[in-house]
Amino acid sequence: MSEAENDGIWGVAHVHASFNNTIITITDQTGAETLAKSSGGTVVKQNRDEASPYAAMQMAEVVAEKALDRGVEGVDVRVRGPGGNQQTSPGPGAQATIRALARAGLEIGRIEDVTPTPHDGTRAPKNSGF
Amino acid sequence: MRVAVTGTPGTGKTTATARLDTDLDVVHLNDVIKSEGFSTGVDEERGSLVADMDAVAEWLDGRDDVLFESHLAHNFEADRVAVLRAHPDTVVDRLRGRGDSDSKAYENAESEALDVVLSEAVHHHGTDSVYEIDTTDRDPDAVADAVSAVVAGEVEPSAGTVSYVDWL
Ligand SMILES: Nc1ncnc2c1ncn2[C@@H]1O[C@H](COP(=O)(O)OP(=O)(O)O)[C@@H](O)[C@H]1O
Ligand SMILES: [Mg+2]
Repeated sequence: MSEAENDGIWGVAHVHASFNNTIITITDQTGAETLAKSSGGTVVKQNRDEASPYAAMQMAEVVAEKALDRGVEGVDVRVRGPGGNQQTSPGPGAQATIRALARAGLEIGRIEDVTPTPHDGTRAPKNSGF
Repeated sequence: MRVAVTGTPGTGKTTATARLDTDLDVVHLNDVIKSEGFSTGVDEERGSLVADMDAVAEWLDGRDDVLFESHLAHNFEADRVAVLRAHPDTVVDRLRGRGDSDSKAYENAESEALDVVLSEAVHHHGTDSVYEIDTTDRDPDAVADAVSAVVAGEVEPSAGTVSYVDWL
């Protein structure tokens, strides 16, 4: 495959931001083909240093590089997990990840928060809590 | 002493707290929300009431020596917060076993894999007040004992001791 053939692919970056880990996967727009993935266990559980925004940023750089190599020009971002919407939460956070993807040369399109909602006949309103 | 017992639906909060031998008043918040009409709307897609958090907080206000359990419990003032955890596959098995829909089981399992409740609990209460309890291979009595140990102050706070991200 020549570079010209791959030019201008638009992908989706899936950012899973848990309490002490961040996983980044870049797929095509259908989600069917994985174009780049952060290696599992990059951020080791219970190691708070490894769970830093710095670690997430480093991972984002590696994933962005792989994606760029495969001709991905830009990505829509889908964030799952409270690291994505609670700046003060201890998770590595999605914001640093998204900035790193951009800095590595990927164009960033729509950013969507698709964090699941725990529910059991009741659910919290968005942004709840004291 | 006010103790919140929280955790993703299916982690076994209602079952464990029903078996608890404690002087605290045990309150099942989901029941209170329904019976008192503490809601601001309905989430049709999820078949859930949108809880009126202010009304619940007001109802809890002034109640001391209480232990309240719900997946929303960490959103309210408490001295200690026990967060029950379970592997996402276990959450699916337990919720389906209880007769819940696949979509409800799956969204709760994904929430559990992403540590949604734990993160919110730490966000509101800090790591000094949060006690994580893995229920995956523990029977309800063992879980109740672990909750008792939190109430009695016999264990140290803990958060981030389990990780289910491999499930994702
Ligand atoms: N420790 C456990 N081991 C195995 N099954 C359990 C355990 N705790 C609860 N269950 C079962 O799992 C289902 C969900 O438990 P429940 O107490 O309703 O959870 P929650 O209140 O956290 O949503 C119930 O069918 C219950 O019988
Ligand atoms: Mg319950």
